[in-house]
Amino acid sequence: MSLSEQQSLKQQVTLLELVDRVLNKGVVVSGDITLSVADVDLVYVGLRVLLSSVATLEEPRERISTAGAAR
Amino acid sequence: MTPPAATLSRNGLGWYLYGIAAADDASAPLGARLAAGAEQEVELVAEGPLVGVASRVSLAEFDEQTLPERLSDATWLEQKIRTHEHVLERVLEDASVVPCRFCTVYRDEVELRRFLSERRETLQAALDRVRGKVEVGVKAFIDRDRFAAGQARQNDEIRQLETRVSTAEGGRAYLERRRLEQLVASALGDFRGEVAERIHTRLLPAAEDGHALPLQAPELSGREEEMVFNGAYLVTADRGGFEAALASLAREIRDDGVDLELTGPWPAYNFVPEELGAA
Repeated sequence: MSLSEQQSLKQQVTLLELVDRVLNKGVVVSGDITLSVADVDLVYVGLRVLLSSVATLEEPRERISTAGAAR
Repeated sequence: MTPPAATLSRNGLGWYLYGIAAADDASAPLGARLAAGAEQEVELVAEGPLVGVASRVSLAEFDEQTLPERLSDATWLEQKIRTHEHVLERVLEDASVVPCRFCTVYRDEVELRRFLSERRETLQAALDRVRGKVEVGVKAFIDRDRFAAGQARQNDEIRQLETRVSTAEGGRAYLERRRLEQLVASALGDFRGEVAERIHTRLLPAAEDGHALPLQAPELSGREEEMVFNGAYLVTADRGGFEAALASLAREIRDDGVDLELTGPWPAYNFVPEELGAA
């Protein structure tokens, strides 16, 4: 595993720890707009995208820039 | 549901509440620290003995209509989650804090102040519980190869089978290997629950409180090793006694293939009341 891969893995793990706490724990107060329990499922959809994008950070970016240059 | 247009405050700004601290704890140094070098401007909204740690945010950004869309935007989500945590970590350096859940937004300051004053007693009780303490996370992962090696040392049947596997040939070797794999898998099945209970039983007396949490999904944990325990502990801010207990436990279970991982210090997300509805 390369250094950049190790770093992105570490970031991903930290992010997961964060998500477990920030999204699922902490007081739910009577905010006018508060993330409801139902919305948390949506967050996990976003999260999967997020974590997989962290894991494959390098490759897709290259592809995108190649596609952009071709235009 | 009220239409969004009618609910926008005059300037379109609301308050994102990160957490609640005590006014006597969150003194001048905290305000100064929060003001210095923040990626997001953070303000302390004082109401009686409590302060809300909050930022002005665009209500359009957090509107109920658009929030679901935002939440599936990975870049937005990561940035907001990290900001939420960074702000609370800065508070935690100087003061105790009751963390709020992600995306707790008030439409205006009046609503935020009303919450702080109406829920004063519950919030103070929550603050008292976490005062001078932090949360740490403990996760345990099992390395299958080291577990199998540990079993071979302790379990005669497995050890003898390993010897036969190494000397047998052809179809016989295959059968012996299958048998060995089954034995190790069965031992692992029993061991998972035992070791989780052992970890929690050992760490709990060294902490003020603790919870065993659901295991993280393997596809999200980012590790090949299987997670066998996930816990959160409320510990005194110096953490000395807890870390000593953790280190001694780690030495004991290492030969069974178990590695312990410590995370934190975190705001006490797992040790504050979940529901704080309107009074």
